[in-house]
Amino acid sequence: MVGGGPRHATSREAMMKRIGTFLLVAATVVVLFGDPVYALWAAVVAVAAAWIVDPASVRTGFRFGIVLGMVFAAAVTAAVVAWAEGPARGVSTGGMVLLRLLVLTVAAAVIVRSVNAEKLLRATERFGLNRLGLVLGLALNSMPRVVEAATEVWTATRVRHDGAVARLRRLPGVGEVLLAHTARIAEEAAAAASLRGHSALTRRSNELGLPIRVVVVTGPSDGGKTNTVTGLSSRLQNDGVRVFGFVQPGVYEEEQKVGFRLRDVATGEEAVLATRGTRREGRYGTYFQFFDEGFELGRKALQRVKPGSLLVIDELGPVELRGEGHMPAVRDALAVPDLIGAVIVVRRHLVPSLLAELNASDAIVIDVEKTGDRAADAVLEALRF
Amino acid sequence: MRDVRPWTYAALFGTLWGAIEATLGTALYLSKLPMRGTIIGLAGLLCLVCLRRLQPRPGVCLLAGVVAIFLKIFTLGGFYNGPIIAIAVQAVSVEIALTGTGGRAIGAAIGGFLTLATNPLQMILKMWVITGTEAVRAYLRLLHEVAAAIGLGSVRPEVVFAAAVLGKGLIGAAGGLWSWWVAGRVMRRLGKR
Repeated sequence: MVGGGPRHATSREAMMKRIGTFLLVAATVVVLFGDPVYALWAAVVAVAAAWIVDPASVRTGFRFGIVLGMVFAAAVTAAVVAWAEGPARGVSTGGMVLLRLLVLTVAAAVIVRSVNAEKLLRATERFGLNRLGLVLGLALNSMPRVVEAATEVWTATRVRHDGAVARLRRLPGVGEVLLAHTARIAEEAAAAASLRGHSALTRRSNELGLPIRVVVVTGPSDGGKTNTVTGLSSRLQNDGVRVFGFVQPGVYEEEQKVGFRLRDVATGEEAVLATRGTRREGRYGTYFQFFDEGFELGRKALQRVKPGSLLVIDELGPVELRGEGHMPAVRDALAVPDLIGAVIVVRRHLVPSLLAELNASDAIVIDVEKTGDRAADAVLEALRF
Repeated sequence: MRDVRPWTYAALFGTLWGAIEATLGTALYLSKLPMRGTIIGLAGLLCLVCLRRLQPRPGVCLLAGVVAIFLKIFTLGGFYNGPIIAIAVQAVSVEIALTGTGGRAIGAAIGGFLTLATNPLQMILKMWVITGTEAVRAYLRLLHEVAAAIGLGSVRPEVVFAAAVLGKGLIGAAGGLWSWWVAGRVMRRLGKR
């Protein structure tokens, strides 16, 4: 009997809260849509119900400033209606407005005090909305970074531009930079989610993850990605490792990149893959014209892949991530059994898409800009050579 | 959807929008400045159009709206029903407009039009919820009297209201096209164009 006391008290309290919540909802409906005759009773019931559910919400809802605001709004409405319809109607409408505001305020105070971010996140999980929960969690975690980015952008504007008028004139530019910063943070979050498996953020795939070790080499444009994998391939071939696949060295004229060639790393055979033209001449939304002979050599290079070898692919771009270009041959090559591993070059912003596309959540990403001269060693280490 | 980026972009752009609503929005709300709804509406429009151009997947604007509402409620902003309804209406308007037009500039203009044109309607709805039908009628009559005092006595209140809706909508449409242009610049900055 003694042991059951607190439990009884808790269940009674929960029951009272449920009744209070029901009465509050009912009072809100009556005051909004019911006969004005019952509005006063509805307001009394609403305050009593809020007191039962959470006494602090009544104190929060009826702070001096809020009450003053409600009275002011009711008085203005009463004055306008009195002018239009006569004093008696003005007083009754003003009173009705006051009661409505009172009930709505107390209901809002109960909602605000009883719902918090954590509860909402738990609710998304309970209703099977895991992805929404993750997105809201990411939003909460990212808020400080976004605010920090906004502060930095604004500080830079203040330093560069004197006077309020000059700064106001720069506002569209500030917005542009801030939006670009936000996009970059979103890219980083996507990369982090991809590396963690992101299974909750994406639809679960029926495919199994890649059974081989995947090393993704990334970095800025002309940052040494191709040189890294070319050097690595030669080094391993000299050590007797069988390496298949292709690299795409750039073709330069007067220090300008004017195209790409495709080289089979096993045979050294080369073909033109792309040359730079105008936007109108370009394919896949780029400035480059692509040539079938380059794709053909790439396909042949990938068909040569044998069990027990290393696959090198430099590089996969947006075309492949849309399932075109080299992608069908890449999929076949990755399906060859007992590969030592795969080294895939991709631009930074495509890393998340690549990992998602290949379902390679445990891939190791090596950024040549961060590793510098040690990039090839880092790839070998990742491949466990 | 296997790529996680539409989700992270929606989360981050919703965060930016929510942060703007919670800070600038709250400051404008408290300042009672004229055109505050228009200013904050254009800021939200910019976030949504940019998001949709960077991640052209249907649904991203709705998700960003959910995030912005979530942050608006649980941060500085607090529970003010007006801005929350405005965010929801804006996210739905831009989503419908951009999805319906296949993600083209005209969609941004239509989204902008709907976003700001619904502002006066929201105001009337809010007024009706709080004050009731009689008070709304009285306010419309007051509006008519004010119009008469400035020499527009023959104009009916409904026409004045429709003009306000149209005027705001046109500002929104211009804002939508401007947002489209800024989003293009952001894409160039990110090397996506």
